Amino acid sequence: MTEAREAEADRWAEGEGGETVVDCKKLVLGYRGKPLLPAFDLELKRGCVWLVVGRNGSGKTTFVRTVLGLLRPISGRVVQSSQLRMSYVPQASTIDGTVPVRGGDVAGWGRLRGWGFLRPWKTSADWTAMRRALGDIDASTLERRRFGEMSGGQQQRVLIAQMLAGDAEVAFLDEPTAAMDATSERTTYRRLRELVHARGMAAVVVTHAVAVAAPFADHIAFFDPDDPSQKGGRVHLGDAAEVARDPRFIDFFGVVHAGTEAVGHDEVAGEHD
Amino acid sequence: MIDPHHHVGSDDDFSDVANAIAADSAGSGSGTGAEAHTGTNGPVDTLDEEPSWSEFWGGWAMYKEAVYSGAIAGLSLGFLSVYVVLRRMVFVSAAVTQAAGLGVAASFWVAIHFGISLNPAWGATFLSLLTAVLLAGDPKRLGLSREMVLGMVFAFTSGAAVLIGSRIPQETGDIQAILFGNAVVVSPEDLQRLVWTSAGIIALHVWWFRGFAFASFDPISARVQGLPVRMLDLILLLSVGVMVGEVARALGAMPAFAMSTLPGMAALLVVRGPLPVTFAVASILGAMSGVGGYLLAYKKQFSVGPAQTVVAVSLVVIAALVRLGVGVGVRLVRRRRRLAE
Repeated sequence: MTEAREAEADRWAEGEGGETVVDCKKLVLGYRGKPLLPAFDLELKRGCVWLVVGRNGSGKTTFVRTVLGLLRPISGRVVQSSQLRMSYVPQASTIDGTVPVRGGDVAGWGRLRGWGFLRPWKTSADWTAMRRALGDIDASTLERRRFGEMSGGQQQRVLIAQMLAGDAEVAFLDEPTAAMDATSERTTYRRLRELVHARGMAAVVVTHAVAVAAPFADHIAFFDPDDPSQKGGRVHLGDAAEVARDPRFIDFFGVVHAGTEAVGHDEVAGEHD
Repeated sequence: MIDPHHHVGSDDDFSDVANAIAADSAGSGSGTGAEAHTGTNGPVDTLDEEPSWSEFWGGWAMYKEAVYSGAIAGLSLGFLSVYVVLRRMVFVSAAVTQAAGLGVAASFWVAIHFGISLNPAWGATFLSLLTAVLLAGDPKRLGLSREMVLGMVFAFTSGAAVLIGSRIPQETGDIQAILFGNAVVVSPEDLQRLVWTSAGIIALHVWWFRGFAFASFDPISARVQGLPVRMLDLILLLSVGVMVGEVARALGAMPAFAMSTLPGMAALLVVRGPLPVTFAVASILGAMSGVGGYLLAYKKQFSVGPAQTVVAVSLVVIAALVRLGVGVGVRLVRRRRRLAE
């Protein structure tokens, strides 16, 4: 690792973040011309984990789908490089249980980008990346297991491996631990955070398990369409610990440890208030 | 007949062909299979007994194109059937097949009423492709679901084929043969077209296999990773449309539908291995349906299309029984092991 890269990795580990990879400018989310939230700006930087939280229907998934280019924003824009490698880990796999694919096949799909499928075979680099990704998420034993016969939690691990195998620069994870037990959830978030910092990725995690995920987040985006202080709701954005101290956040989620694992100190949000 | 080389009407079955072979061997010269076929009622009585396999080999020159066609149609549609089943597109295949049948009927109708000579194969392919493109669109923009569009297309093509058939009574036999399949003899031209179309489609699907699989089974992730999912979807539907059109013309709509759905089901029941093996097994089972159905039809004097369909269904039943048997066997072995421990 070069000195510059090491310095950058240190910054990521400190939660400062590096180069901006996705820049949302005056973004208004919604469907059929109906906004869900007021306009907001948000920058996704390398080496940062963003947590996106809010009640059902607050626009979390709409945000992810808009940034991924699957939905058009009502107004504003999302600036990103056309070469940016993005990945998406859904809450539940859309792969039908009858499809005879194995864990290794699904993880290996992460290596396919654009017109890469014109090469009909996997290279040794593809195999290595797929196996390393499964190993990174403690899922090596799932390489030869049939995907449809795995538990929900195992499928989620394989989908995270798919994201890692593709060397994604920006990853969007929608409830990535919804089917996991509490221990696996914490392990997965810790591993995800380590990988984000080590690889200089940007990760956006949509979750309802705020208490479990918040300690591993660098930043939080709290979508609050019902905030009475502002017409049309409010988007609370910023450092994880700061957002977690917001009274509206505490009303919703209670007092949670936020950003403690990310910045290396044990700070309980709310206790400072 | 408008197209004397090929589709065998209701009065043309294995016994007619046997008569033609007999006429040939009695000294009428060395005509091609198609020529022999067009000479209808020969001097030999209809076969009352089961024909022998030696007679089959004796007439191989006449039957071979139809046997090869069954094998190639089964091979290529069997391959595509895995997508059809796993993507829950069985009714898409049904609608495309009906459209192909309508295309052939419409070609006859245009030829009779307007004197415009249209190749029924092109009519079948054109309408099946049109249906595939229609179904590839996003019906939600019109406030419709895909099932609604499928229902409309299926009902329209089925009804229109019957209506057109009623306006061309002189070709009713041919229309029946097209819809249900009675390809005792296939012309070398039809076989050649089937070979090239199948080769092109299978080559493309093998080459782009990873893209088709990813875009088919995990389309959202594939889109996020920049794969041209809509284009791949369209090509897949067009592949089904083209192949079904060609096979419906060469063998009939019923076997085309059967081969585009059933081999995939059978393969998925018995194959536990990786995805490419499932496709390979489905192709082999498709070819077995095509050839096995033809041989069954020859031996038992059945219509070819329904025989091919029955063989395809039988393979699914056998596959289900094999799976059931294996499951029971595995459970018994495990129980014995537990008891031994």
